[in-house]
Amino acid sequence: MSHRTITRRDFLKVASAVPLAGALAPSLARPAAPEGKVRVVLVRHEDALDPSGAPRAEVIQAMLDDAVRALIGEKDVVKAWQTLIRADDTVGIKTNVWGKLPTTAEVERAIKRRVMDAGVPEDRLSVDDRGVLRNPVFQKATALINARPARTHQWSGMGSCIKNYIMFTPQPSAWHGDTCADLAGIWNLPEVKGKTRLNVLVMLTPLFHMIGTQQYNKDFTWAYQGLIVSRDPVAADATGLRVLEAKRREHFQDDGLLKPTPHHIQLADTRHHLGVSDPARIELVKLGWSEGLLI
Amino acid sequence: MSQPTASGPRLLASYIPVSAGPWLSEADQVFDAGTIFDYIDGAGEVYRSYNMRHLVARRFHKDGRPDIVVDAFDMGSAADAFGVFTHDLDGADAAIGQGSTYKAGLLSFWKDRYFLSVYAEEETAETKRELLELGRTIAAAIPGTGERPGLLKLLPEEGLEPGRVRFFHNHSVLNYHFFVAADDILRLAQTADAVLADYRECGGRSRLLVVSYADPPAAAKAGASFAGAYMPDARQGAGMSTGNRKWTAFRVRGRFVAVVFDAASEAGARARLDAVERLIDGDKRGE
Repeated sequence: MSHRTITRRDFLKVASAVPLAGALAPSLARPAAPEGKVRVVLVRHEDALDPSGAPRAEVIQAMLDDAVRALIGEKDVVKAWQTLIRADDTVGIKTNVWGKLPTTAEVERAIKRRVMDAGVPEDRLSVDDRGVLRNPVFQKATALINARPARTHQWSGMGSCIKNYIMFTPQPSAWHGDTCADLAGIWNLPEVKGKTRLNVLVMLTPLFHMIGTQQYNKDFTWAYQGLIVSRDPVAADATGLRVLEAKRREHFQDDGLLKPTPHHIQLADTRHHLGVSDPARIELVKLGWSEGLLI
Repeated sequence: MSQPTASGPRLLASYIPVSAGPWLSEADQVFDAGTIFDYIDGAGEVYRSYNMRHLVARRFHKDGRPDIVVDAFDMGSAADAFGVFTHDLDGADAAIGQGSTYKAGLLSFWKDRYFLSVYAEEETAETKRELLELGRTIAAAIPGTGERPGLLKLLPEEGLEPGRVRFFHNHSVLNYHFFVAADDILRLAQTADAVLADYRECGGRSRLLVVSYADPPAAAKAGASFAGAYMPDARQGAGMSTGNRKWTAFRVRGRFVAVVFDAASEAGARARLDAVERLIDGDKRGE
């Protein structure tokens, strides 16, 4: 090993008698933060879900519109989207089809509608997950929108926006080393590099704990009814992680930390420089329903 | 150690009933270590880290009721069936197989070289009853029993919390249970056997990690690697006070490395290592 590894003792020196904070310690070596902050919008609506738990399409659309307006600082939603997407773009919307907790058709449709409003015709637009490498629209994509639900994950710690691009690799398992520490490296692949215009971390019913092979139990989800939206996938994930950990603290009455540690989020910042994971460098704009906000 | 045969998945499937009360089974899905990602994505790494051979997944369906899913793993050895069972020990003992837990609609147990996860998509009084019955039926159909890893014999009994013993082969799983270092400073490398156990301490909990390597030189290298990365200023066997006012100490003995973390005192850490050493020496005499 040529580099000095981070050990438990590093934590203990920094945070004596305090549980392991956040994910892993590489942030200890982070250089001074730049002056600018990354904007993340958290939008919630108490009626985002109907009594059966299904998303209400019109509310989801309004939430996404509010979030993008706030993110861009533009009152007109179409103009806001036109700062993200050009009419001559070919756009791939990278969704997530995990059966127990998908991105949801309502979120996909809300994004698709606004991409088309920005001037992109339907034949230059596609929504896909596991077929992205074979999808002709994704193969020609000049712009990507990244949308997935937030959940705990048995190997990476958190199913994150960063992780959602693993389907752009021919062998996803090649990125599993050190519990997915270097997932952000995927974002340097030519299929995706520099193309992502928006990240939507779906927080409608996040999964805050997992058990067993299937990793899912409805009892460990809750109706948070939110979306986290940012141009920066790392900042979106870091914010979603705060919500998950806060929910775990509330539920389990412990430190709330995820196992395994979702250190790929911090390493996306400190090792891969994909974005910002430090809450102090994130401008969090909170919109809408505030009950049970948690952060 | 029993070895799977070409008929392994069929044999495993034969242990699972075709119905569970009013639930009827659908077609089996069979996966191996190369295809498990098709079933559970990256979570498959947990089972691969325990050298899984096959997984037979059988879903039971009944209109108007939550589905029940049996995930039956042939782990290739009883040690690894035990190991993967210890990955998640939360829950109540269901007294099924050779070790079991039940919580929130999930029954997990191991028997012989098999690990079983029996899961209801929603927990109800009825699904809980069916899960437990299904588990008992499967456990009864598996004819043999298996030995727990021999490494567990090196855990001193005094203060040991029996329900908090984990067996594994790589540092990612170690870090899952107890973060030691970002890198594999103990050189587990998926080839070593390791056991991590919790011990009651006055006012807290300490951990004992015992790792078995292929041979003494491998253990010596691992000990040196650990010392260099974790406690470069400590002698082997001596304690090191860590930032949380607790003590860490390690020792290399033959092909074993033992580490005590978070002991309340240096003397306590050394005493536990002495006890491990006596068990190693006793084990050698028994060979």
